[in-house]
Amino acid sequence: MEDMGVHLQGVQKSFGPMKVIRGVDMEIRRGEFAVFVGPSGCGKSTLLRMVAGLEDTTDGKIHIGEREVTDEDPADRGVAMVFQSYALYPHLSVFENMAFSLRLAKRPKAEVTKKVQEAAAILQLTDHLEKKPSQLSGGQRQRVAIGRAIVRAPEVFLFDEPLSNLDAELRVQMRLELARLHKALGATMIYVTHDQVEAMTLADKIFVLQGGYVQQSGAPLDLYDDPSNRFVAGFIGSPSMNFFAATVTARTAGGITAQLDGQGDQSFDVALENPPAEGAKITIGIRPEHLSLTDGPGLRVAVDVAEELGGMSYQHGTLEGGEPVIFQQSGARHDMGGTTQTVTPEGGRIFVFDEEDKRIR
Amino acid sequence: MLTPKRRRRERRTAFLMIAPFLSIFIAFFLYPTFSVIALSFTDAPLIGKGEWIGLGNYAKLLNDRLFYTSLWNNFYFVLLTVIPTTVIALLIALAVSKLKGRMQALVLTLFFLPFVLPVSVVTMIWAWMLDFQFGILQPVIAAITGKPVPVFMNPYWVMPMIAVVTIWWTNGFNVLLLIAGLRNIPADLYEAAALDGATAWQRFRRVTWPLLWPVIALVLTLQLILQLKIFDQVYLLSNGGPFNRSYVVLMQIYREAFQLNHGGYASAIAMVLFLFIVVLSVLQFQLLRMGGRK
Repeated sequence: MEDMGVHLQGVQKSFGPMKVIRGVDMEIRRGEFAVFVGPSGCGKSTLLRMVAGLEDTTDGKIHIGEREVTDEDPADRGVAMVFQSYALYPHLSVFENMAFSLRLAKRPKAEVTKKVQEAAAILQLTDHLEKKPSQLSGGQRQRVAIGRAIVRAPEVFLFDEPLSNLDAELRVQMRLELARLHKALGATMIYVTHDQVEAMTLADKIFVLQGGYVQQSGAPLDLYDDPSNRFVAGFIGSPSMNFFAATVTARTAGGITAQLDGQGDQSFDVALENPPAEGAKITIGIRPEHLSLTDGPGLRVAVDVAEELGGMSYQHGTLEGGEPVIFQQSGARHDMGGTTQTVTPEGGRIFVFDEEDKRIR
Repeated sequence: MLTPKRRRRERRTAFLMIAPFLSIFIAFFLYPTFSVIALSFTDAPLIGKGEWIGLGNYAKLLNDRLFYTSLWNNFYFVLLTVIPTTVIALLIALAVSKLKGRMQALVLTLFFLPFVLPVSVVTMIWAWMLDFQFGILQPVIAAITGKPVPVFMNPYWVMPMIAVVTIWWTNGFNVLLLIAGLRNIPADLYEAAALDGATAWQRFRRVTWPLLWPVIALVLTLQLILQLKIFDQVYLLSNGGPFNRSYVVLMQIYREAFQLNHGGYASAIAMVLFLFIVVLSVLQFQLLRMGGRK
């Protein structure tokens, strides 16, 4: 228990009759970088605000470190939050913005100056301390907001989609800086995002949220390699996984043979420990990067749009039955637009889901 | 770059569009203003021509004891209304902004309702409520002072009471302005302050007050201009009395112009009041802006 950072037990949240969080358990160890990821409306921001104390908890318990904080005021929880809008005080200088919490606590001047200067040095804001937030660029404002959190030396840092107001280039740069900052401070951080790339690159542990539940949690690559349901499989990985309706035609020694619906002769052997019965309706999931061109039999894809990224290209197309397919090619200038290609999945990289979208392993 | 032809066409359209306003502005504002300025240097009656007497009217004004009395009453009235109404409006706005949805709209409407009434109705309501014999507020006054007071005939009560009526009448508008200002302060600033450990008072002092200051300065300035022009309520409630204790500058202008037929002299008083309002309001607004920047 001593390395406990944040611990949620059966946490629920309702707004009137609307249940937003329907029972969440999670353990985040001290010093861990946890990321809540999910589509908009999944409750991830609400959950973060409940940890912060900005939203009441309808049911369940929240622990930060050893302390139960479910009914504590935000200020007493030992958390600092970086808002999506940065929430900088427009009438105060950068220095005063960062010093705000210390001023409220009436700390001695020398201590305030020292702490703010230290935080400013970490974030390269030393030259901007006298400026007002309106005189700063988006990235600098973001850093001031982070600086305000650092000055408080909280047990837990909370980030609510902090990079979503930055342009793409700056986002990548700030992402790196956040990762370095986490290494340097070693504090527990919880980070909310809808961007699965941010989640994959930053997290020690990802919590995929949807419909008020944690769908799956774990290390980024564990989620990628071993998703426990169709939602997680589709959400983690970019571009997202291809899904095809299929039927089990036979049970083999180590798994099943599945035939894609509407594709006639196309069938795959998939190794499974708990194979479903013959004739069962299933969904097959294959990632774009696990589909490769073949001269032999395979899926015939009519490519209509090719996204050429230079080192990589994504071929978008449809099967004969109209199901959309994406497959990935390394390198560029394949000139596949308008052609029909035959692709086949790598062995061992086919995921199977049952009719409730649960993974069959 | 616009071609000269296109620019000419745009200018013509622009002129056509502002022409209705411009013509009315010239006919009903600019022309009368210059007429008053010209009139103030003559001994003209209200209608008809007068002799040019230079600064004669202004010299006469310097020795007019009633003018000093009215001017003093104007400032007294400003003192009684401007800051009190702003403070009251701020308190109401802060309370109303805590309410949610329809309840907020309803309460806001209730506070705004008096502002909709015409001044004659407002003064009628209050004249009745404060009536010496039948007024429902007289028992309240009697409870405080020990006996009923004919407020609009009492030299000490008359100005404060007119101030109360005025504040009751116009306060809703200030509440509206301040509510709009409060709504412009992003909620996450308060959330950030709460996380930083700010108490309710600290949140007001360090977030609300500095961010609302421009609106407060605007309200104070609008009030100053409005209250320096006090006339209707005084005319209807006390007619300047008793003993000229509620006599105000606009009242003197009205009497000189329309009752004594001294067009030139009334114009001179109007010019002086006009200058007072311009100087005071510009001065106040600049001072308030400096206070906000600090």
